[in-house]
Amino acid sequence: MKTIHTILILLFAIATFASDEKYYEQMGKQIKNVYTAKTIDELQAAVNAFNRIAGVEKSKWEPHYYSAFGNIMIATREQEGSKKDSYLDQALAAIEKGKALVPNESELIALEGFVHMIRVTVDPATRGPQYSGMAMQAYGKALGINSNNPRALALMAQMQFGTAQFFGSSTAEACGMAKKALEQFTSFKSDNPVAPVWGKEMTEGLLKSCN
Amino acid sequence: MKALTTFLFVVIVIPVFSQTRITGKVTDTAGEPIPGANVLIKDSYDGTSSGADGTFSFLSEETGTQTLIITFVGYKPFVQQLELTGKDVTITANLKEEINQLEGVVISAGSFTAGEEKRRTILKPVDIAMTAGATADIAGALNTLPGTQKVGETGRLFVRGGDGSETRTFIDGMVVLDAYGVAAPNTPSRGRFMPFMFKGTSFSTGGYSAEYGQALSSALVLNSKDKAEMNQTDIGILSVGADVAHTQVWDRASVSGKIQYTNVRPYFGLINQVIDWNKAPASWEGSGAWRQQVGKTGMFKLYGNFNQSDFSLYQHEILDQSVKHRFDLTNRFRYLNGAYQQALNESWSVRGGLSYTYNQNDTHTDNVPAAETEKGLHGKLVFEHSVSDQLELRFGSEYFYRDYEASRFNTVSQLHEQVTFTEPLSATFAEAEYYASNKFVVKAGGRFENNSLNDEASVDPRLSVAYKPGKRGQFSLAYGTFRQTAANRFVRFNNQLSPEKAEHYILNYQVVTDRKTFRVETYYKRYDQLTKYADVAGTSFNNNGSGYARGIDVFWRDSQTFKNVDYWVSYSFLDTERDYLSYPHAATPAFASAHNFSFVYKHFVSKIKSQLGFTYSYTSGRPYYNPNRAQENFNTDKTPYYSDLSANVAYLPKSNLIIYLSCTNLLGRDNIFGYEYSTATNAEGAYVSRAIRQAAPRFLFVGVFITITKNKSVNQLPNL
Repeated sequence: MKTIHTILILLFAIATFASDEKYYEQMGKQIKNVYTAKTIDELQAAVNAFNRIAGVEKSKWEPHYYSAFGNIMIATREQEGSKKDSYLDQALAAIEKGKALVPNESELIALEGFVHMIRVTVDPATRGPQYSGMAMQAYGKALGINSNNPRALALMAQMQFGTAQFFGSSTAEACGMAKKALEQFTSFKSDNPVAPVWGKEMTEGLLKSCN
Repeated sequence: MKALTTFLFVVIVIPVFSQTRITGKVTDTAGEPIPGANVLIKDSYDGTSSGADGTFSFLSEETGTQTLIITFVGYKPFVQQLELTGKDVTITANLKEEINQLEGVVISAGSFTAGEEKRRTILKPVDIAMTAGATADIAGALNTLPGTQKVGETGRLFVRGGDGSETRTFIDGMVVLDAYGVAAPNTPSRGRFMPFMFKGTSFSTGGYSAEYGQALSSALVLNSKDKAEMNQTDIGILSVGADVAHTQVWDRASVSGKIQYTNVRPYFGLINQVIDWNKAPASWEGSGAWRQQVGKTGMFKLYGNFNQSDFSLYQHEILDQSVKHRFDLTNRFRYLNGAYQQALNESWSVRGGLSYTYNQNDTHTDNVPAAETEKGLHGKLVFEHSVSDQLELRFGSEYFYRDYEASRFNTVSQLHEQVTFTEPLSATFAEAEYYASNKFVVKAGGRFENNSLNDEASVDPRLSVAYKPGKRGQFSLAYGTFRQTAANRFVRFNNQLSPEKAEHYILNYQVVTDRKTFRVETYYKRYDQLTKYADVAGTSFNNNGSGYARGIDVFWRDSQTFKNVDYWVSYSFLDTERDYLSYPHAATPAFASAHNFSFVYKHFVSKIKSQLGFTYSYTSGRPYYNPNRAQENFNTDKTPYYSDLSANVAYLPKSNLIIYLSCTNLLGRDNIFGYEYSTATNAEGAYVSRAIRQAAPRFLFVGVFITITKNKSVNQLPNL
């Protein structure tokens, strides 16, 4: 009987491990897809895959994170305002699900700020003041949890740069922050194998307009 | 051991051999393919997305009875049980559309919605603030929409042949008894509430919901903002005063307060006025708001406003301009509004509130005192129930209590005279909204009112239907009966007067895309039980008055065609007559104009960081009565047309600083709103007229607005 027990425990452990392996394998594949997708269809396929994973892995926040990220990327490619909003609504819903699992994840809160920032683009005149304020607040909160989060730094720098450019004021503060973000992109390492890594190119692009 | 081996074999090996291929096609109910739908086996990694032609194919390692789910935004999930045995499975999935308030049909007859920036709305709060000529007044901005008639000397909203008192203002569902500040006779008054307080405005020019009663022509429904998001201090330095506001935010609550002082005396000192002021208007105003989140879904809102204003002027007699009478007025206004709303569960929600209005006018005419005080209490409780995603029910009860008192000193009898009345009024309403599909919706309801002052009870039906045949355009129809207690100045002498009554019939067509709106609406309105003078002296009244109004309203807005340009055009045609008050027979009232036209243009010029705005308004001549004519020629004379070109500039030199400049009537046209006549005849036996004119040809306004926050990208632009 003892052996059977051992075997069963071992089997269970293997099964768990196998499931974890499957999770990382699937996540790795889809993360690559979402980062390299060129069309809305490809992004939608990745978002669907993350939603499927989220349906199985009920304790993991990362599938929700990437589902939201994919929806934001679709929103940036979509032309029609009401459709943009619909994708951003889905992104926000996914972020909320992630936040229900980990309320203080800096990456999720930074991504929430990103949603608000893209909302502005639908109707800058009307939405600018409200949503840019909400975005800045989210970035601030994300940095409060992890002051080294390169994405929170990069997004905040982007926002500050846009504002400074609009008002013709100095972009020094924004550029300083972008620089700090770039440093963090190089040095910041997460022990989470499926942690987000995007944003470096965006920051490099921003720094180019700084010079 | 053997059993275990078999068991292990089954567990480990079988899945490898029993992959099942699932293929199929996802379409909508019309058979059109749905690409990008998520196809999955519940609680597994297995699944795929449908392709451009709606087809899909994937392998699943699961076995036995499994649940296949197909989801796509805007559609109800498709769920089917499958037996997975290794044999190919083919699925045909027809996804049913979800009832979608964003893309689907909406009831639009009679109503203009503003705010809630995510919905397709016709006017946004910032539009109200930045409409040239409106001077950041809600009524002023709404006056550029069709269905309204410009009545320049009042500043109030006159809708479709109705007079200004027929438009009622509601804040968070609660009535405001006197929504306009005081103004000198024949000068425009401003709304008491600033547009920035509200996240949404719904302006209905007829056919509105059974929830709103005691409004004959129009309901202006203002929804106040929810909890504020950040701490900030706003300072405004204006050419006519100053204001300071502060908002403090907590995790689940926010409190804001504002104090404003307005004094046009220095301004009137600089710019010559038609009015002979003794003391030009000045006012103190304070307001405060408290927002508290309660539990998961509850929201409590408390709003209070106090205002004290006064002025003093000389009224010159028409026959002999050198004879003048001094008129002093002090107005005290208090308003308190508490509202609460909460979801009870998935399908039930409740909201309720209590509002209190206190309004007092203390006047002296040649030092003879008179006063008028109105106090009102309004309580309301509403339940909303979603029976399904197609059927919504709403029902509730409300109670109004009004207390009115007018007093004056009688110089002949040397006595203080007083008239009072108290009106308790209760009402119950119920309404059902049924979405047959995303193409067709019907809303039907009724309102029961019981007035304890005149012991009258009434039932008013309301009905609206909307049909959206294609992707963009939709038709709406609305019908309803509406009633409103007669004006205080009549009820105080005859408290048995029946309420005035109106029936609305509205047909509307509109096409709304992201940044363009076209709508055309035609209507017929029948007035009944209007207050009529029962004698020549105007001391007794009855309900024998009646009338009609009909017309067509056209609206076009486009913020897409020209870069950084947003413009709208409104045109209203109105044909109305009524036989009421002292009218000898049915005639077009003095406030009604046949043609109203507005053109509003806004241009953001990023080079100079400024928003420029122009508004042109035109109103055809309004009738007036010349007492030198026979009675059959009552209201047959017409004033010249009214026109106005106003401009404004908002300059944003820094992100937290705005410099705002506006000027009305750039062309300096001498608009005439009507004529007053002397009460007695002159030596030649004729009544002498005097034109009612603008107080000054132009009104120039300069303001500097500063916002202080931790986050510098915030400014007061949406508040202006």
